[in-house]
Amino acid sequence: MLDIKRQVIKIAGESGQGINSIGEIVAKAIKRSGFHTFGYREYPSLIKGGHAFHQIDFASYPINCSSAAADILLCFSRVSFHAYLPTLRLHGQVIHMLPQLELTDAEKRLVREKKIKIAYLAAGDLAQEAGGKFIMANVVMIGALWKLLGLKLEPLTKVVRSEFAAKPDVIEPNIRCLKKGFHFPLKNLETLKITFRSQTNCQHDALLTGNHLIALGAMAAGVRAYFAYPMTPSSSILSYMAETYHQTEILVKQIDDEISVAQMAIGAMFMGTRALVATSGGGYDLMTESVSLTGMTETPFVCILAQRPGPATGLPTWTSASDLNLALYAGHGEFSRCVIALSDSNSAYTVVQNAFNVAEKYQIPVIVLSEKQIAESLFQVKELNNNIPIKRNLAEGNKLANLDSADRYKNTKSGISPRWLPGESEATYVANSDEHVADGSVTEDSETALAMYSKRLRKLEFLRDELPEPVLVGPQKSALTFVSWGSAVNTIVDVLDLWNRAHPKKCINLLHYEYIYPPKTSKLLDLIAAAQPLVLLENNAFGQLGALLTAHTRYQFSDKLLKFDGRPFFVEDLIEYLETKLKY
Amino acid sequence: MQDSNCNNHSEVHFKDYSSGNIYTWCTNCGNYGIQAAIKRALVAEKIKPCQTLLCFDIGCHGNGADKIDGFRFHGLHGRVIPFACGAAISNRKIRVIAFGGDGGSLGEGINHLVSAIRSNYEVMFILHNNLNYGLTVGQASATTKVKVKMNASPDGVTSDPIHPMRFVLSLHPAFAARTFSGDIHHMTKTFQAGLRHKGFSFIEVLQSCPSFNHMTPHEWYQTRVKDVANIKNYDPKNIEKAMQIAEDLETQIAIGVLYKNPDSAPFMDRQANRLKIKTELTDEVRQFSTGKLFDAFR
Repeated sequence: MLDIKRQVIKIAGESGQGINSIGEIVAKAIKRSGFHTFGYREYPSLIKGGHAFHQIDFASYPINCSSAAADILLCFSRVSFHAYLPTLRLHGQVIHMLPQLELTDAEKRLVREKKIKIAYLAAGDLAQEAGGKFIMANVVMIGALWKLLGLKLEPLTKVVRSEFAAKPDVIEPNIRCLKKGFHFPLKNLETLKITFRSQTNCQHDALLTGNHLIALGAMAAGVRAYFAYPMTPSSSILSYMAETYHQTEILVKQIDDEISVAQMAIGAMFMGTRALVATSGGGYDLMTESVSLTGMTETPFVCILAQRPGPATGLPTWTSASDLNLALYAGHGEFSRCVIALSDSNSAYTVVQNAFNVAEKYQIPVIVLSEKQIAESLFQVKELNNNIPIKRNLAEGNKLANLDSADRYKNTKSGISPRWLPGESEATYVANSDEHVADGSVTEDSETALAMYSKRLRKLEFLRDELPEPVLVGPQKSALTFVSWGSAVNTIVDVLDLWNRAHPKKCINLLHYEYIYPPKTSKLLDLIAAAQPLVLLENNAFGQLGALLTAHTRYQFSDKLLKFDGRPFFVEDLIEYLETKLKY
Repeated sequence: MQDSNCNNHSEVHFKDYSSGNIYTWCTNCGNYGIQAAIKRALVAEKIKPCQTLLCFDIGCHGNGADKIDGFRFHGLHGRVIPFACGAAISNRKIRVIAFGGDGGSLGEGINHLVSAIRSNYEVMFILHNNLNYGLTVGQASATTKVKVKMNASPDGVTSDPIHPMRFVLSLHPAFAARTFSGDIHHMTKTFQAGLRHKGFSFIEVLQSCPSFNHMTPHEWYQTRVKDVANIKNYDPKNIEKAMQIAEDLETQIAIGVLYKNPDSAPFMDRQANRLKIKTELTDEVRQFSTGKLFDAFR
């Protein structure tokens, strides 16, 4: 298989063992050592027990996805040892802290076949020997891992010092534990041969999740109220918004149900502030009558729909891109809406800002699709330099001074009518969920109903003109073009360079749909006209983007790579597919 | 929020609240009196139409959304309360009033009433309680008395009714009052008290429904209501007393401001990160520099 030029560490244990904190310390220290990292979490929907891991992939170039197989397994529990041993690559190595660990016959065979090396570290005892507490075993383990990586200790000690800055009395014992692990001889292990060089330009990058980036994007967009009901994988937006609310002065309120969440946001937007909500599929189901309401009353609304596998409760802590249809079609009646899908760190920060501008200009609901894989993965980001100017499209100046009530739902060419806020003018109006005339008063007249219905739908055509075409990533000419959206795009982008460099005559490229609805099809139609081989790649079973594009182009995607087991697309998934597909 | 021509100090008159649209309610519907009283109360409190947001649920009362002036929102069945609460916290300079029926407020959307009372959003909520679903032609609501024959309940209602005031008082609200749609003067006074209250004010209006509720017309209430203002030394701060006096809905029905909790802070005064801030959320929509927060992740 193609050399993927990255190293992979899997830190595995039970839920509640602090796997994530360990993962974040290690990721930070690897980044400070001059590498690009990507952090991926798998965990069960439990508070204690089960098995979970935090995986760090690192490379000398920016990466935004994970590989399925790992080089090192740092193991904190028996269950996770047995669960993740099979995920090691050839020559994989394990450090564990499990006395009297017994391998099954199948595991012994696997260890022989893959030439896996396993070392036991009495980390708890070593922590106590170093003058620390038994729970500092975690830090001893990190020290041993560091030795195995063959990296300099200094960046790691700096990270540990800053992690414990709030508890000065535990810093020194932790550093002693770290060194204890680092210097402890683990005879049968071999220092990792990192074949790529460290960089000097990424030590000061930030490591943060997609949800952090979404929240920061919302702040940049001038969001002043955040309402939510906790639901994985959207919940950490709520936590982060609350943790930072003294700095941002944003009103952050956990609400009792998603119907209220949507309604409160609609109320806040109607009054004239910017309010954000986020949920997952089940919560969005509850919001859909309210989404329909925003369509009729032409009230701007922005919702982050963080996807996980369904139906029903599904796999609460796993990933999926199966709610595109929900975003596209849910809500009774016919109305204009916009659907945008995040992929990487840059889009997580910028799309939210664009979403508010679109929602306010067109006075429509904008649904921003995220996924667990984006929401909770740890991205490495150099700068946030894509601040998008806030455009509210509210009536101003002379226009505001000379408004008439009947301007509010005036039938215009674009379908967009003047919008002004309660208190801004003596020209009052009613925003009516019943069909209405230009000032919002109710009507059942057929001619008016038809005119108003058409006015609201007309906005979609103007919005379609304004939205960007999907982006063609990679070389203009290729043997194969992936058509994809969401986190799957990150995997394609990561594989694309490696693949094309190794196979210059069988290059691949990608048509990336970030702005999904209303759909832009001219680039796709060009590819279809040129008889370009297209492969639809989606993290769902129906090929939902494909179905939308088929409806708008009549093109049937015969080649599809669909994954719907709750896992994201791994590097290996794509390489294996390409090696078969392109008869490598 | 931009400078507005709504802030001038011109007087406000009853006619300013006329919309020019023709009413579509039944003759003798309690909604006429309720809407007249709300107009009177707003005028008496010197609130101009452009300084108020009137939020309507779906139901007969909601068909009055375009029969009165003001900024108005006519939303979804059962959802008027969270909409109004979201609006109210965004700009406290606009007085937000929500109207809902016994169907949308005690059936489909009862959870929203609970949340609003607990959080004490600055909304005046008027419950149009006419003991049935009028707009869908006379089915039983959560307040229809048991055994009464209604549309879709040919042998009589089989569920026990909710007692709205007992329910609301059990949540220790900031403000709870009751009035009835046959007495415009009493409704006006009660609504004025609600408008002056900072926080969530719950006002139940016992409402006539001449088409579908023949058991409790205005005359029935007229002979039974008793204003607590006429009770010597009635202390609206005493919740036990309020619960006691609110209980009777058959012989002597207490009306007036039944309970006021002087210690219940309105929602925005409970938000630790907003206490020293003078502006409204609607004034603050501008680019926020995320650099410092981002740097914390380096």
